[in-house]
Amino acid sequence: MVCLALTMPVLRATDAPAPPAASTPLPKQAAAPAAPPPAKIAKVEANGILGRAVQGPDGHQIGRVVDVLVDGGGHVRAAVIDFGGFLGVGTRRVAVDWADLTFPASGSDADIKLDLTADQIKNAPLYTDQTKAAAVAEPPAKTLPGPQAKAGDPGQAPDAPKSK
Amino acid sequence: MLGLRERQTAPGSTKPARSGGTAPDGPPVDRRSEAGLDWLNFFTANLQTAFGPFVSVYLTQRAWTQSDIGMVLSVGYAASMISQVPAGALVDATRQKTRAAGAAILAIIAGALMLAFFPTLLPVMAAEVSHGFASCMLGPAIAAISLALAGRAAGAAGLRLGRNARYASIGNGVAAGLMAVVGSTLGARAVFILGAGMAVPGLFALRLIRTAAPADAPRTAAAGPPQPAREGIFRLLADRRLLWFALCCAAFTLSNAYMLPLAASEATASLGNDASLLIGACIVGPQIIVALLSPAAGRVAEQRGRRPVLIAGMVALPVRGLALALISGHPGWATWALIPVQLLDGISGAAFGVLVPLVTSDITRGTGRFNLCMGVIGLAMGAAAAASTFAGGMVADQSPPLAFLVLAGIGGLGVVLAAVMPETR
Repeated sequence: MVCLALTMPVLRATDAPAPPAASTPLPKQAAAPAAPPPAKIAKVEANGILGRAVQGPDGHQIGRVVDVLVDGGGHVRAAVIDFGGFLGVGTRRVAVDWADLTFPASGSDADIKLDLTADQIKNAPLYTDQTKAAAVAEPPAKTLPGPQAKAGDPGQAPDAPKSK
Repeated sequence: MLGLRERQTAPGSTKPARSGGTAPDGPPVDRRSEAGLDWLNFFTANLQTAFGPFVSVYLTQRAWTQSDIGMVLSVGYAASMISQVPAGALVDATRQKTRAAGAAILAIIAGALMLAFFPTLLPVMAAEVSHGFASCMLGPAIAAISLALAGRAAGAAGLRLGRNARYASIGNGVAAGLMAVVGSTLGARAVFILGAGMAVPGLFALRLIRTAAPADAPRTAAAGPPQPAREGIFRLLADRRLLWFALCCAAFTLSNAYMLPLAASEATASLGNDASLLIGACIVGPQIIVALLSPAAGRVAEQRGRRPVLIAGMVALPVRGLALALISGHPGWATWALIPVQLLDGISGAAFGVLVPLVTSDITRGTGRFNLCMGVIGLAMGAAAAASTFAGGMVADQSPPLAFLVLAGIGGLGVVLAAVMPETR
């Protein structure tokens, strides 16, 4: 079973309400670095996705999420999935565009849906190195059906990553 | 103690000696022990399958991070490498090899259950470490029991080891098939429960076996534990035949270990999800060939010598590597040709399954160090497997067909090594 984090209490530092310590300006020399205020706890409808099964448009389960890639701005850009193989032999690890994933409602353990079939990502370059720019597989064309470049071109279709 | 078979009466064995047991002389006719050993091989083969690459799949499903998975697997690998030789020495020091095998099976069952029910960092690491040590004991212990059971009758050892390899490969193939079915229907955890459950009959099979004195027991101290002769170890390790054979085994594994993973990954790239079926066939198919060929491998090794079998097992490698390189260059339906090409792996599997214990027994005859030397060979093969995956992976990043060619080349080198290796019979 996948560890689900539904309506998970989340710690936030940025928009925590100003605690009393901050509202009353203290004499600078008195307090050594003031203890940071305790975080505010908020409920967020969100789930963990590591290890979750991924389903292609044809309904076949094609793999599992093993990692998530973020860019320098902190935006989630891609999910790394392991797909294929037999008892762990012959598994391929590829990165797919985050925008092509559709997630089930919070709290559901249904499969994550990917707009690409196993056939479409089978030739995608392997994801190997955490530290290098990843080649990310994208659908041939989001709106127009037609044969176009389908994988591994980071310059193509720089979709603004959907923030969920 | 040539030709002499003795029943060990260890303090723990409460069972009275059976009248139909081993005869003090003549050919071994202990059918009960023979059958026990057959089933022991059958039921313990799956323990390796369950702990293989599937651990990584399972832990991924348990939402483990890839770095944690990598760390745990590295710890398991390091544990098995470090314990190869000490575990062998421990089995050598044990008078009752069946006890050593039983303890190892229990430890591996416990590890599988721990993986199934406590998939958190420390228990999993403990399971990996105990599996590493226990499997280093189990393989040599089973081989030692087999040699003891076969006795010193001419040719008996090779036939018995051929039978071992046959039952182990059937067990492996059946386990792989069952695990795939169970894994896809009941989930990954069930695979480990199945693995643990399948090993339990192995413990009962073990109880059927009446061991004679270890076949490698020193002539002077047949009844007692081997004398701790430290310089004996070093003299043995300096034995050129052991060095040659370790080199042969290392070359074999260096060439062999990465062929299937790379071919399977290529198959996935070529066929997508359909590849799972093909990869399954590539894993089970060679086991069928091993089951068919290994009794013949044992017979030929006894009648014609070890070297022809060694060369046959080694020649299959470059042939396979070249064929895999060809297929790799032609994606698509040609990928299905992987299945017949992988059958060549069965030839190598049968040859080495029989020869590793047989040649080691040749080299250690009368020294009481059989299991230690099995550990040395295991160490050489384990290191070669890691090197194969690492170096093969680096070349494959550039060009997979080139990687197959390099692996084939190493296999060719292995053929040369096998051809010049001194006969040990």
